[in-house]
Amino acid sequence: MSESKQVNVSKTSVPVIAIVALAIIFAGGLFVVGFDQGHIFSLVYGEKAFQDLYIHELTHDMRHIAGFPCH
Amino acid sequence: MKTFLFILIVIASGATAGFILGGLNLIFVEPSLDQAIGIENQHMFASGIEKDTPEFRAQYNDYRTWQKSGQVFAGGIFGISIGSLFGIVFALSRNSLPGKIDIKKSLILAGIMWACIYFIPFLKYPANPPTVGDPETVVLRGILYLTFITISGFGAVGFYKLSKKLKTRKFIVVVGYAAFIGIAFVAMPGNPDKITTPMDLVNHFRIMSVFTVSLYWLSLGLIFGSLWNHYKPHKEITSSFN
Repeated sequence: MSESKQVNVSKTSVPVIAIVALAIIFAGGLFVVGFDQGHIFSLVYGEKAFQDLYIHELTHDMRHIAGFPCH
Repeated sequence: MKTFLFILIVIASGATAGFILGGLNLIFVEPSLDQAIGIENQHMFASGIEKDTPEFRAQYNDYRTWQKSGQVFAGGIFGISIGSLFGIVFALSRNSLPGKIDIKKSLILAGIMWACIYFIPFLKYPANPPTVGDPETVVLRGILYLTFITISGFGAVGFYKLSKKLKTRKFIVVVGYAAFIGIAFVAMPGNPDKITTPMDLVNHFRIMSVFTVSLYWLSLGLIFGSLWNHYKPHKEITSSFN
């Protein structure tokens, strides 16, 4: 006699793709808010970005509040 | 686990908590920042770099308005960034976190991470308002701050893993981590900058920033936990056996 039964398995392992995606978002976001001194915009605007410090100025207040070093 | 739903919950909770932080900062911290930048302006007037004219004031006010809106925007980015780290740690440690419901687990993890990667590093390298930091030492200060946060974060994970391996009691983790971070606290060099800004202003800024950033962690724990509880991204029927 054969018995048919259905078992639902709850998968708890964390997908690697999600970890990688979130790790990139974490590092990128942290760099923008905490550390960029023109680096990101220099990819497009070249040396000028290091004088303009657009992202630094935009995130300036949050940089201080979150405890990142600033001037 | 439902990958897309998991990432969506992380981003939604991180962004919401981040914008809450940005909004709270406008009320509680920006007045101190305005005061500190006002001191920077006085220095510029005294040294002759700028003149205190109505044109300068108008330009400065426009600039600060833009910078304050940038602060709220940066709150969103900061919120998503830290929220992503929180999401990774939560997903990996959910089964080991105490509590039956996910909100409790999430709040406990938010408390642990608040202490290990924010508050204890803050005690070593407290946040400063503008005018305090020397531009010459900004890279060194960045390295010191990040190093201490990394030591603290990995130290906490390390002691947790060790206790699991040795099957010791939970308080051993706390004692071990406390001794470890205590040594790092004493051994690491302090902030090299000398503070010449009035301490009243510096302390007020520090208290207010701790208040709002701590509320960010609380909001993150609550929102993330509630969303996880509701949508249960860990539950997925994957196989059927016949």
